[in-house]
Amino acid sequence: MVLAVDLHELKKGGFLQQRGKDKYLMRLRTIAGDITSEQLRALADLADRYGQGYVHLTTRQGMEITGVDLHRYLDIKADMTRLGLLPGTCGPRIRTVVACPGSTICLQGLVDTKEMAAELDRAFFGRAVPGKTKMGISGCPNACAKPQENDIGWLGVIEPKHHPDRCNGCGICAEVCPGNALTMVDGLPVFDASRCLFEGNCIFSCPADAWVINRKGYNLYVGGKIGRYPGLGQLLDTFIPPERVVRSGEAVLSAYTRLQKQNQRMGDVVRSIGIDQFRQVYRDELERFTGGRKEVTGA
Amino acid sequence: MTGTSKEETVVPDVVLDITHEVCPMTFVHTKLKLEEMRAGQVLEVLLSGGEPLQNVPRSVKYEGHKVLKLEPVGDNKYKLLIERGSD
Ligand code: SF4
Ligand code: SF4
Repeated sequence: MVLAVDLHELKKGGFLQQRGKDKYLMRLRTIAGDITSEQLRALADLADRYGQGYVHLTTRQGMEITGVDLHRYLDIKADMTRLGLLPGTCGPRIRTVVACPGSTICLQGLVDTKEMAAELDRAFFGRAVPGKTKMGISGCPNACAKPQENDIGWLGVIEPKHHPDRCNGCGICAEVCPGNALTMVDGLPVFDASRCLFEGNCIFSCPADAWVINRKGYNLYVGGKIGRYPGLGQLLDTFIPPERVVRSGEAVLSAYTRLQKQNQRMGDVVRSIGIDQFRQVYRDELERFTGGRKEVTGA
Repeated sequence: MTGTSKEETVVPDVVLDITHEVCPMTFVHTKLKLEEMRAGQVLEVLLSGGEPLQNVPRSVKYEGHKVLKLEPVGDNKYKLLIERGSD
């Protein structure tokens, strides 16, 4: 019976109607795209027992078991819980946080994206919001996880600092700089912050360790989406320390909730009022969160 | 612009041209060549600008070798001098 389906559970989303009578697909999520071999085996078993013997990989590091009979919803849910498989979601909620491998795996990674994805997942996943809200994290400005295509995206950055006393004037940093931000003048590199990509190649290439990390953190982009009217996220904040990333997300969501009309997506809000005005409201909200008062005024 | 470091006159023990290679073979060839050499020996690598220029020096440093010099030789090509580190 359809009535046997737990409506409260169904409302959280992640069980989607598909083609075929009473056929649904069960969406699962991962944290930063990782799944253990044990979970993979459990997943394969579920696909055999409830689905069609295969698993579909989503574009957002999730997995879908297709062809599940509507009436077996509670059974498959119970099995997922028992096996430690995480449910996905759909609709106007905060979706799976997408992340690249980051500094624990990738040689270019500047920040620990896996840890950050887990933290953001704990703080935000599944939360009801006016319009669907996607989050993404990349470990460096190569932006492999495309944070600028998300409603809220974070990008790992480092700011270099030069120690002239250690520098031998070899000019290697200026040659390897991908942003053309360094020019050799009188045997020393001169830094142009307006051209710097904050990706650290000078630091990682200098044979004398004359370049060091001055600051490390996350740049924050808002309003990215693809869909019918695509647009990239715009830079809202820079060098957010890891321990303040969740708070920056809360402030963006509060600003969005206050400013949106008729359940607009983040990108439509940002584009209609402009990034500067959005930033003002974001700063207000950030201050409220910093002040320890966490009440959020709904729109 | 080149510096005034004393490595300026270093004569390489081995020369390698990777200008016809693309990632990941640019660094793979450099790494293999360095593995055949002894600590303290100098490898000269001829590489192209762009991706190889941006990535080979940092990979060399990451693997514990020392970059002595990097200079443009024209035609979007660069000469990289590497002192092989000890294992
Ligand atoms: S690479 Fe290092 S030593 Fe060479 S010029 Fe740049 S800062 Fe100085
Ligand atoms: S961080 Fe990257 S872009 Fe910025 S100065 Fe260093 S090498 Fe150039």
